[in-house]
Amino acid sequence: MSRSPGRKQENHKISRELFVLTYGALVAQLCKEYEKDEDVNACLDRMGYSIGIRLIDDFLARSAVKKCRSYSETADMIAQVAFKMYLGVTPSVSCNSVTGNEFSLILDKNPLVDFVEELPAERASLCYCNLLCGVIRGALEMVHLAAEVSFLQDRLKGDAVTEIGITFLRKSEDRRHRRN
Amino acid sequence: QAVWLALLQNYPLYIRSVPTENELKFHYTVHTSLDVVDEKISAMGKALVDQRELYLGLLYPTEDYKVYGYVTNSKVKFVMVVDSSNTALRDNEIRSMFRKLHNSYTDIMCNPFYNPGDRIHSRAFDTMVNSMMMQVC
Repeated sequence: MSRSPGRKQENHKISRELFVLTYGALVAQLCKEYEKDEDVNACLDRMGYSIGIRLIDDFLARSAVKKCRSYSETADMIAQVAFKMYLGVTPSVSCNSVTGNEFSLILDKNPLVDFVEELPAERASLCYCNLLCGVIRGALEMVHLAAEVSFLQDRLKGDAVTEIGITFLRKSEDRRHRRN
Repeated sequence: QAVWLALLQNYPLYIRSVPTENELKFHYTVHTSLDVVDEKISAMGKALVDQRELYLGLLYPTEDYKVYGYVTNSKVKFVMVVDSSNTALRDNEIRSMFRKLHNSYTDIMCNPFYNPGDRIHSRAFDTMVNSMMMQVC
């Protein structure tokens, strides 16, 4: 499965600064519109979800990967192929549970927070990169894998590392695409 | 050996001095130097795009101090005041300090939570300024 031949194959590169500044402006604007951090986080998650359900097809077309046979393979795929493809970084993956359905992605470098030194004092529980959680959740849902995705640790909040937790829920039997 | 640094956009955005006495005299010196800066900017007219022209050089020497100026394309002024007795400090060193300041200032501008015109509260900026000023003293 590959992109149609009519589409030009070159990699359109746009400036990293532009992307990072755009994301920053998005978060700053949401902070102006919503008083509570939870509302901003939820909004970022919804936006991310909306991106994820569309991005997955682009990802599958471009990476031409085979179907993952386990949750562990899926987590590796997200970290080593998807993150690399879209953000240029490769988080490390670790499995958090004996049952094999909880994983962590540890981000050493996060381009989205290039210019953000620390969260403003009044926004202490803001998950600045919550969009990423929504993207992962939406993408997984489109391949019929229900998951909960959230930030377990965040360097911006003073933690040592930035860690995204993915918990795979029971495989969704429902074949109908339910939108959020 | 003392050195003072101010970033202003007609009102102060950031002020740091080592040591911290004599603040009033420093503020006075910086404010008078703003007039000199404005003079130099208007003298240059519209040609203020070259990196070399951002550096305004020695604004004016008083008996105690030497005052150096730098202005960004967005008209933010950096003013550095050093003791006259500090003869070890050369022009190109001052230039490179202003360039470092300008780079750090650009990073601050890129912070989505920083509103242009706010006072600058940034640990990274403070660290950079500290190490720079330690070199001068």
